[in-house]
Amino acid sequence: MNTAVQILVSGLTLGAMYAISTIGLSLAWGAVGVLNMAQGGFLVIGGYAAYAGATYLGLSAPLALALSALAGAAVGAATYFFVIRFMLDCDNFETNVIIATVGLALIFENVILQAFGAYPLRQPVRIEGGVNIAATYVPYESIAILAASVTAMMAVAWVLARTRMGRAIRAVSQNRAAALLMGVPVNTVYLQVLTISGVLAALSGVMLSTITTLAPTMGYDPMLKAFIVCVVAGLGNMYGALYAAFALGILEASVQFFLGVRFGFPAMLLLIILTLVWRPYGVFGRGVTQRF
Amino acid sequence: MMRTRMPTTDGRSTGVADSSRRGFLKRAIGATAGAGAVLGSGMLAALNSQAKEAGKATNTKPIPIGAGVPLTGWAAADGIEFKRALEMSCGEINALGGILGRPLEPHFEDTKEQGADNIIPAMQRLIDRYGVHAIVNGYNTGAVTAEYDTIADAGIIYIHHNTDIVHHSTVGKNPKKYFGIFMGDPAEYWYGEGLLAFLNGLVKSGQWKRPNNKIAVVTGSQNYSVVIANAIKAKAKSYEWDLSLFETVVVPISEWGPTLAKIRQAPPAVIAVTHWVPQDLAQFMLQFTPNPTNSLVYMQYGPSLAAFREIGGKATNGVLYSTVIASLRDKIGEDFNQRYKKKFGPSASPLVAAQVYDSAHYYALAAAIAGGTGGPGEFDQNRKVADRLRAMIYRGVMGTTHFFVPEQAAIPYPDATNDPSLGMPHQYLQIQDYKKEPELIAPPPYQTASFKLPPWIKA
Repeated sequence: MNTAVQILVSGLTLGAMYAISTIGLSLAWGAVGVLNMAQGGFLVIGGYAAYAGATYLGLSAPLALALSALAGAAVGAATYFFVIRFMLDCDNFETNVIIATVGLALIFENVILQAFGAYPLRQPVRIEGGVNIAATYVPYESIAILAASVTAMMAVAWVLARTRMGRAIRAVSQNRAAALLMGVPVNTVYLQVLTISGVLAALSGVMLSTITTLAPTMGYDPMLKAFIVCVVAGLGNMYGALYAAFALGILEASVQFFLGVRFGFPAMLLLIILTLVWRPYGVFGRGVTQRF
Repeated sequence: MMRTRMPTTDGRSTGVADSSRRGFLKRAIGATAGAGAVLGSGMLAALNSQAKEAGKATNTKPIPIGAGVPLTGWAAADGIEFKRALEMSCGEINALGGILGRPLEPHFEDTKEQGADNIIPAMQRLIDRYGVHAIVNGYNTGAVTAEYDTIADAGIIYIHHNTDIVHHSTVGKNPKKYFGIFMGDPAEYWYGEGLLAFLNGLVKSGQWKRPNNKIAVVTGSQNYSVVIANAIKAKAKSYEWDLSLFETVVVPISEWGPTLAKIRQAPPAVIAVTHWVPQDLAQFMLQFTPNPTNSLVYMQYGPSLAAFREIGGKATNGVLYSTVIASLRDKIGEDFNQRYKKKFGPSASPLVAAQVYDSAHYYALAAAIAGGTGGPGEFDQNRKVADRLRAMIYRGVMGTTHFFVPEQAAIPYPDATNDPSLGMPHQYLQIQDYKKEPELIAPPPYQTASFKLPPWIKA
């Protein structure tokens, strides 16, 4: 019984971490075709912004979180203004964006390295303590990440489905040229998506860093796992991403216990291969997003 | 009985290379005759003074020496300490008159994320661009001696602290080619066997009563962790331990639930985690202590960094770890620790810097005894320097540096010699109060505190 609870708690914790890492990536990639390889860098900047706010400026936790969100918005908007904007009309837009954002990720990492050093830091913006469930200790942080990931995913899904901005994003996602002809401000849509993606990533970075610790390279692993979740779930389906994140978390924890920790990640990769063979658009995907 | 083993790359001991006290004494006597004394600074100053008086110190051209260390990338924090340490030691050596009147001039190249693709070009640039006579390094990972040929071709001296058992076989099998390459610290292999001996020592001395003979080993996927874990696995039986779990984790790892569930199914007397990343280890303790087993917890390297205690807080109290290379807490070590912090600030890490500091000093001493340094291509002169290094017994801030021959790697005490004057202390430390520095609990005569049962163990 205790072992089963432990595996479930570990699986949900991993799932929540994957889900919260995925939101920003899934939004930008699924909605407007921007596979932002600097997403991990957004997470890192968000985490360090909260750290700097709390440590150097003496901000309270809510204000430090607000500063982190602001930093995420600024980085997202800057990515649009200085990188994405110039590529919108280029051939091979999606490929160019991938390469450009890889470079951006390296810049982010080294800026953080120069500013804060490579030393791992404790995130001061956190919720202390935890609760025992069937002899398994569950930190409040894990519960907070789980709640935040579910809430944020649902909120983004609601915005995409029910709001004017969401409709504009979906229109651009389906056919950029047609959306432009219908009067949708396409450039503004890209700016909005990247800014929102930046805010979500930054807040995710704060929460993840309470478990994984602040370090300039802390974004790589969440980025990789988010990528896996997006591929398995399929693009543009927020609820699908949520289900996929938790399913993968529980699968990984189970494999780690029954087969060995070292087989957890290979099991996820195997699942990707099987998914791509079985459903090339992902388990919850509907088809290829086209852009002209 | 002195145990001087020559381990192989697979972690097995191939036998006794030079098991007799007589053999060691002969080397010690030879070294003393060659090195004169082990009071490095005083001796270097005396040699420089003698050279000056004899009119031999006429060449005052600076001697370029280098370091190819990670100044950016994930290990930059340590790389910066290596750079500082070389600058500090060069300054001190120059204040003593340099090497026979020639001042040392340090040059640096960044090995970034390390690996052979970064390390080899960095070493080549030090040789080609600056013509360095020696490379005195901290550590790099990922090249696994691939840079040795670059350095051997130039015929210069290279002292590093890669803590890599592969060095033993590479240099041991071809000592003529790699005559100038030294590993200034013991290989990681010794962590494994040393731990078993340390645990048995705790039992024998009555400081700890083990509840069973089980030891659970959790290793990361990097070579360093795997070699140590394999050494524990290979030697466990001979130290009367049974392996209850051998788990390899993929790093980075923050969720330890499945591993802890396995440990809790068959609680061992000792949990040995040979993965080394401090934040991952801190998470292990945060998840272990709310529902602990009656086990000692030993961890590799990570607890030596303040980040481990800062992140893990109270949960880190009681954790054991060890290091084969760090400055000591004695008068000599503490003097260095304080001077280093005074020079570079309270957040500087003298424990990490000590390796380069000591190596630069004994290199300078060996070169002075040998009659000077040699640049790239000056094989004969550098062979003389290497001869002096092989024979040297140097007491520095980390204890004694003395090399295995022909492997040219530092001998660990008490793992390979029971004479503290002939080996670098394999230090065992315990975090007893996470707000303070860890306590050095072994080996004698260097320990400054006694072992304490961790707070989660019921006596």
